[in-house]
Amino acid sequence: MKHQDGGWSPYVAGGLSGLVGVFSVWFAGQYFGASTSFVRTAGLIEQLFGPERVARMDYFINVVPRIDWQWMFVVGIFLGSMISALTSGSFKLQAVPDMWAARFGAQSTGRRAMVAFAGGVVAMFGARMADG
Amino acid sequence: MKMLIYGLITGLLFGFLLQKGRVLRYDKQLGALRLLDMTIVKFMLSSVIVGMVGIYLLHDLGMVKLSIKATILGPVIIGALIFGFGWGLLGYCPGTSMGAVGEGRWDAVWGIIGMIVGAALFAEAYPALKATVYNWGDLGRITVPGVLGVNHWFIIPLFIVGAVLLFRWFEKKGL
Repeated sequence: MKHQDGGWSPYVAGGLSGLVGVFSVWFAGQYFGASTSFVRTAGLIEQLFGPERVARMDYFINVVPRIDWQWMFVVGIFLGSMISALTSGSFKLQAVPDMWAARFGAQSTGRRAMVAFAGGVVAMFGARMADG
Repeated sequence: MKMLIYGLITGLLFGFLLQKGRVLRYDKQLGALRLLDMTIVKFMLSSVIVGMVGIYLLHDLGMVKLSIKATILGPVIIGALIFGFGWGLLGYCPGTSMGAVGEGRWDAVWGIIGMIVGAALFAEAYPALKATVYNWGDLGRITVPGVLGVNHWFIIPLFIVGAVLLFRWFEKKGL
């Protein structure tokens, strides 16, 4: 099951993740998703500044800003990954990914931050539009 | 409260497996987009196969409900193109960005902040989009077996055979 980089075969890890998905639908009636939680988080933050405005917005009426199953699922992904990484010695603090560093240099932290931020804005806008 | 704990545990297991499969990394995601490394495609398709068989089995036994989203061509096609552009820049998707931070790849934090901003912008744009893009090509809640008018157990084995052939090809090419 070990792979060259110490990980598991993606077929095995992927298959098991599918099994986790089946059990989730069975026991909790919940299908996997992540991007809705970013909408709820945006709404929760906006509520701090203008709760009346958020309460009037169409999209936040559909997707109510609150902590729900999926929000905790997304937090769980962070924790699960951290547990796996720390217990297998594959945790690595990295400001710039290897492939990025090979192209733009290891010192390009600022440029990486800007591109990652912009990419995040665009990716989430598209993901929400496609309802994914 | 019970649902929140279910969510946390499910996420823990999923995040653990995502990390073990090495699919959280920028290099793997860009590797797939650059057609150099198909690790994430192997992971996703394996997950889909198991999920598809398990959930349809439970559905046929009357134990679970399907969750079929409406297919509206306008927002799906345009949204997917926009998503792909952003994904190529960020190198993480919404779920994997959280996992990437978990294994120390903290450049994903910039992406997470960006995604929260993107979600806020989408909420602002939503009324205008609802009046336009969302009316383009609404096909309703369709499925492949539904459109073809066949039982889902005809489609599922075909999908699996297709995926296995693809896997074999990936392995032969060392992708």
